[in-house]
Amino acid sequence: MEGKAEGKVIVITSGKGGVGKTTATASIGAALALDGNRVAVVDMDIGLRNLDVVMGLENRIVFNVVDAVKGRCKLKQAAIRDRRIKNLYLIPASQSDNKDVLSPDEMVQFGEKMRKEFDYILMDSPAGIEQGFENSVASADEALVVCMPEVSSVRDADRVIGLLYARSITPKLVVNRIIPEMVERGDMLSHEDMVEVLSIELIGLVQVDDHVIISTNTGVPLVLQKGSKAGDAFRRIAMRINGRKDIPIEVPQTEGRFWKKIGSKFGLGK
Amino acid sequence: MKETRDVKVRMKGVGDGLHVAFDPTLPADSIREELNRLFKQLRHLAINARVTFDIGENEGYEELLDELGDYLKAQFGVGNVICPSKRRMVSEGITRQRDMQGAWQQHQSDMLMLTGRVRSGQKVTARKHILILGDVNPGAEIVAGGDIIVMGTLSGIAAAGQPDNENAIVLALDFRPTQVQIGGIMAAGLPPSGDKIAEFAYVEDNAIVVEEYLKANPFGRQPWPEVR
Repeated sequence: MEGKAEGKVIVITSGKGGVGKTTATASIGAALALDGNRVAVVDMDIGLRNLDVVMGLENRIVFNVVDAVKGRCKLKQAAIRDRRIKNLYLIPASQSDNKDVLSPDEMVQFGEKMRKEFDYILMDSPAGIEQGFENSVASADEALVVCMPEVSSVRDADRVIGLLYARSITPKLVVNRIIPEMVERGDMLSHEDMVEVLSIELIGLVQVDDHVIISTNTGVPLVLQKGSKAGDAFRRIAMRINGRKDIPIEVPQTEGRFWKKIGSKFGLGK
Repeated sequence: MKETRDVKVRMKGVGDGLHVAFDPTLPADSIREELNRLFKQLRHLAINARVTFDIGENEGYEELLDELGDYLKAQFGVGNVICPSKRRMVSEGITRQRDMQGAWQQHQSDMLMLTGRVRSGQKVTARKHILILGDVNPGAEIVAGGDIIVMGTLSGIAAAGQPDNENAIVLALDFRPTQVQIGGIMAAGLPPSGDKIAEFAYVEDNAIVVEEYLKANPFGRQPWPEVR
């Protein structure tokens, strides 16, 4: 990658746990790599690593991010190459260390090294706003905030957005796990409500999808699964990150309405 | 001078004039006698001097003052004689307006005005009033010594009139705070009104009351615009 423009460090965070940061990281990373970028996904959840499991690369870990940051191994040794997707690399977290083995200063240096090797470096931030979060955002150029349509998730995302702004990072919003039926019934926050409260740029809407669990269990990337709506949504998010601003944000809809819409396009169902 | 003696009239030089204080309830003759004594000592200094009479908190006595003024003019050739009580009689309205203008200038910086969104975990504090052009998200906290005015949605915690001003109000264009505190009184779990209407909270009988702002128009019946 010598002589090429420097890459971008994007942190994926949420404040709250269990909203789909890891899934988003793995999927967006895979989609960016499929688009022909050199991508590294870094698991920053030191002590509770699981990005490797989601990506099905668990059995190939030799070195981890702590080794790479501390200079105990070369970057290339820590980066595990994905066999199915070209140009996709994983730098796993250390399972035996603690989050404060790394410092934000070390992460800034690490980020600089990574930018020279990759086009996109996705940092999978741990939940919370403590040391692990500080380390993840230290070297970030951009941020994606993953948020579920649920009040507690919105509250935490709001806090994280404030912290990101305080570091001069303008985050973008991914709304994950939308259940269109519930939104339609008014039982779930709509993405409009969330954008109104969080007031940041929306980059994608992802609906709840059984394929996510299948993908996590089998280690087959979500974006490679045919007919996965969440996978499609993540691919579109990746394209938008990649500069394709023209890709529209699709609002997840219930099956019935979808077919009605298609039907009405062909002059049916009137 | 002879301060130890029973002093009926006090005189001191103020700028380019003479300030003469006395108790107008005393007999006119004794005041005149005392003035006579004092002004005699001044000799030529009294000529054309500007004399200001001060009769303290007493009111009326215009006749006495006029008489004494004329006496001083005739006897010692003083310039003009001013009675402060007369000067104070300019209409209350004008005084008020003047005070108000002065006050506005003086109080200019007592308000903290912010634009943007106050997010969860952020806290804004000010000694006096706070005006926010933007929204206050759930989990955010606004603490003011005076009023809190949010030109947007207030969904966080608002504490006005801290620590003990129960005259403070909390006003928002979309009023749905998680908690409101005015002075030492607190209210939580206020039922949301549903629509986006400007509402405000104030203290009445040791309880927080929320009303539609335009309907209640709390300051509309005030005769004068006042500095808050």
